Amino acid sequence: MQQVLGYGSTLLKCFCLLHQVHAHFYEFTETRGESMLPTLAPHGDFVHVLKGRVHRRPAPDTGDSSTRGLHMGDCVVLRKPNDPRSRVCKRITGMPGDIIEVDPSYDGVDDEESALIEVPKGHVWVTGDNLSYSLDSRSYSAVPLGLLLGKVVAANDFSKPARNPETGAWFGYRRIRNNYLEVSAD
Amino acid sequence: MSRKSAVRSALLAVTWIPVMLTATEFVHISQIKGSSMRPTLNPNDGSTDWVLLNLWNPMERLRNDIVLLRSPKDPDVVYCKRVKGLSNDALYLDQQSRNRGDKTKLKLVPNGHLWVEGDNAHSVDSREFGPVSKGLVIGKVVCVIWPPQRWGTDLNRWVGRDILANEGPNKSMSNGH
Repeated sequence: MQQVLGYGSTLLKCFCLLHQVHAHFYEFTETRGESMLPTLAPHGDFVHVLKGRVHRRPAPDTGDSSTRGLHMGDCVVLRKPNDPRSRVCKRITGMPGDIIEVDPSYDGVDDEESALIEVPKGHVWVTGDNLSYSLDSRSYSAVPLGLLLGKVVAANDFSKPARNPETGAWFGYRRIRNNYLEVSAD
Repeated sequence: MSRKSAVRSALLAVTWIPVMLTATEFVHISQIKGSSMRPTLNPNDGSTDWVLLNLWNPMERLRNDIVLLRSPKDPDVVYCKRVKGLSNDALYLDQQSRNRGDKTKLKLVPNGHLWVEGDNAHSVDSREFGPVSKGLVIGKVVCVIWPPQRWGTDLNRWVGRDILANEGPNKSMSNGH
């Protein structure tokens, strides 16, 4: 009896520790959907997400992507505003206070001014990398920061060979870079 | 020997911290600040109520539930408000159109969103920032637990403005969520 209780509490403690790490620090999860092509594949890609509080708040405006916090161009995981049970992965393309052109490909047949939006305080503008196949801020407008869950920093693809002979990457490992601040990274 | 056992029990206590943190994801105790939920919570200036929160399944809400939610303008600010409209509800925005039954200026709550208002008319709520996403809701207020003279407070004795324009079941009908 004593032994069963001992094993049970150890199991409970391990499970809760794992859950806390998963909920507040780091998550490794699969992504689906075409909206982040070519950064993430429609299926089979697993992403490394940092979920600490600092990874869900905008960084002080220094323009340096090495400081902690969210920057323009970061890849984030967030709850969908109109369906909070599902989570989506998008890229930040507007910080609070920025003026956004909702659809840059819009040819301005109607009133051109109507296509400009200022991102409200405490909100961010997110779009998928695959603009032609993505449901994002262009349809549900700016997203409150409270819906952000974390920042995507890297990805794996387990259909790739265990070790790439050219780059030395394990299982298709690659950093997800901020393609707005680190333009010359690749 | 006693020092060794003290260290051992301290370490053992540390291993229980994640379990306690996980437990606080289901029930939580919180202090209510400000007057926006008067007269239901904090009925007079001198008192601050402490409430028990149910954090389980925060998105599944009924009308007139009192909820804690993150402010859409600042994720570090938490508001306590009453749910006055579920997804796809139609609401009267002002009292005059409600009295006249004027259905031309109704506010529709979008899918996945809630309309929240403080019981006090002077409250920063959906009247100012519009419908809020369900994802911002943290949990539901179950009862007042402190001070003791406020035990057993009926949280639904006063439910705020009556602004619902559509009849309907209390459950949200947003495609089965």
